[in-house]
Amino acid sequence: MKNLNAATKLEKVLTAGEFALTVEIGPPRGPNPEPVRQKAALLAGLADAYNVTDNQTAVVRMSSIAGAKILLDQGLEPVMQMTCRDRNRIAMQSDLLGASALGLRNVLAISGDHQSASAGGKLNGHPGAKSVFDIDSIQLLSVIKGLRDQAVQAGGDSITEPAPFFIGAAWTPLGPPVEFRVTRLAKKIAAGADFIQTQAVYDMDAFGRQLALAHDQGLTEKAFILPGIIVPRSAGMLNYMNRSVPGVVVPQELIDRMKQASDPQAEGIKITLELIEAVRALPGAAGVHLQAIEAEELLPEIIEAAGLRPRPEV
Amino acid sequence: MITAEWKPIEELVSSLAGYRNVLLVGCATCVAECAAGGEREVQTLAPLLTMALAKQGQEINIRTATLERQCEPEFYDDIAEAAAEVEAIMSLACGIGMQLMAEQFDPLPMLPGVNTTSLAIREEPGLWTTRCAACGDCVLGETFGLCPVSRCAKSLLNGPCGGTRENGKCEVDPDTDCIWRLIVERATARGRLDALATVRQPKDWSHSQHGGPMRMVREDLR
Amino acid sequence: MASDQTSKDFTPDITVLYCGRSLAEPDSAKQGTMQTDGCRVKLVLLPCSSKMEVPQMLHLLKQGADGLVLAACPEGACRFLVGNDRAAKRVEFARGLLEQAGMGAARLVLDRGAGRDLDSLLALAQRQAQEVGPLGPNPLKGVNAR
Ligand code: SF4
Ligand code: SF4
Repeated sequence: MKNLNAATKLEKVLTAGEFALTVEIGPPRGPNPEPVRQKAALLAGLADAYNVTDNQTAVVRMSSIAGAKILLDQGLEPVMQMTCRDRNRIAMQSDLLGASALGLRNVLAISGDHQSASAGGKLNGHPGAKSVFDIDSIQLLSVIKGLRDQAVQAGGDSITEPAPFFIGAAWTPLGPPVEFRVTRLAKKIAAGADFIQTQAVYDMDAFGRQLALAHDQGLTEKAFILPGIIVPRSAGMLNYMNRSVPGVVVPQELIDRMKQASDPQAEGIKITLELIEAVRALPGAAGVHLQAIEAEELLPEIIEAAGLRPRPEV
Repeated sequence: MITAEWKPIEELVSSLAGYRNVLLVGCATCVAECAAGGEREVQTLAPLLTMALAKQGQEINIRTATLERQCEPEFYDDIAEAAAEVEAIMSLACGIGMQLMAEQFDPLPMLPGVNTTSLAIREEPGLWTTRCAACGDCVLGETFGLCPVSRCAKSLLNGPCGGTRENGKCEVDPDTDCIWRLIVERATARGRLDALATVRQPKDWSHSQHGGPMRMVREDLR
Repeated sequence: MASDQTSKDFTPDITVLYCGRSLAEPDSAKQGTMQTDGCRVKLVLLPCSSKMEVPQMLHLLKQGADGLVLAACPEGACRFLVGNDRAAKRVEFARGLLEQAGMGAARLVLDRGAGRDLDSLLALAQRQAQEVGPLGPNPLKGVNAR
């Protein structure tokens, strides 16, 4: 086994060559830790690590640091997400040191949805917020790597001791311009990403081709890639994602299957299981990042049926 | 050019409350190009505001003038006489011109008539789009002449975010191109995609407004 | 004094600006002020409706006209190809401004038509007089008409 960066469970599972499983827990729009604890209780033991989102779609929620710490206290291993939208390099590094002090070790760097996304549906959001974007997600990866490997800040000053992190990044393999997406992945890995979670993939052929390109460039040797899968709930949802969620391509065949299904929920689970199987067969896929949006209660059954239980002891 | 657009008519009307003699001054340079503050806009706003105030029972005399450039003191002689006879000046110049106006006739109140919005180009008739954010550390040499600082909604320097729409537009606006898609296309067309593969380190924003107001000195010209 | 004239019971002054090409007989062009049922009309001949720009439209209203009609050629029938489309966009823009200024968009309209004669121009004015009636007189009526 190679030298571990932060010796998190996620890192150990991946390094041991086990097929890893991560899921997501979004913090609540309020100060009460109970909803996080409840989700933690529901999902405990099911996954190797749990992503805690950072004000996703720019909607104000409990901070990802606090959410991650609550999970940690419940015995779950969090992946703290960090976007570049709301904090400059000073605040981000300070929060990284604080997160490290709290025992948070997995961190995922992303650009973040623009604040204009926060206004929608019933929410006013904060579209008038001043966006920061001092550094981008790739630069954030190199900043985290600097704190970890050289104990040095972005500006060059040292910190008292290295901050151990297992560093993650997101990847949208099928977003336009598609011809650049593998290069962008390579940049993220060069900047410091140890593991990658992807945007939801439904088109396994197209994704397989992008992953093969990455594989040929040796990228799957340098970082662990976890394709994202979102459990389909209805034909309408798949249609919506196909049309409106950037980088998500849903084959018509899957939409039709959901449309024709007499029990869409069962069909959605069936499709999910097939997708997980397909991912396992892809060379270079190190695990899966599984989401059931607003239907976390489906996850135990799916994970069981996919043969992903129990999780490896590492 | 520097682009600006009218403040809402309602805001302009209320800023004129109580005045009986006002000078409305346009600028024949950038704001004329972007149809916010040239002679035509002066001649549009003057009757419109007069009517709006009359509707509210306020009689006002709005005189008009358009300077060649409101950001250069040498053009101000033309309106000195008129300025002496009014209670306030409403300026349709960009924020730069408006400040010089406020200074030239201090303590006469200067009422801003426009919001200054961008450094932009007229892409087609009736459409202006941003080209620069005066970041003070130009990266155009590495991005094939397309500015990601001002034209990417997240000022990303290392390639497109995951939000690029299927048709190549930006996640933030369905009518605006994802600038990184255009950069990648131009690099591809020139067979230079490799040039975008290097990780660009964090930018030094201190040369822009983030470093505080700019004070540019050239000793040889002082 | 304009602001005293709050009554809606008034005789509207309507200016009709018409494109000479929209007349049935080009030589029959009439100009000048005349009285018709329910309003005073000022007829102004234009070589093309696109000759009217937004500042001029607003200027005419500022001079006291209660309503304005820009009588253009039918769609696709402009001798300058797109002159009347341009006029339509300008009228739309100016109407938006009038609405924001509290004057009422209805004070300005575009009419598209061909084969016009004096009667049809006066009919346009009468129709516009009815439209502006509810808005009351132009607050600047009589004030700037020098
Ligand atoms: S990189 Fe900076 S200076 Fe260059 S065009 Fe963009 S904003 Fe302007
Ligand atoms: S879609 Fe393109 S332009 Fe828009 S924020 Fe993302 S990278 Fe920037």
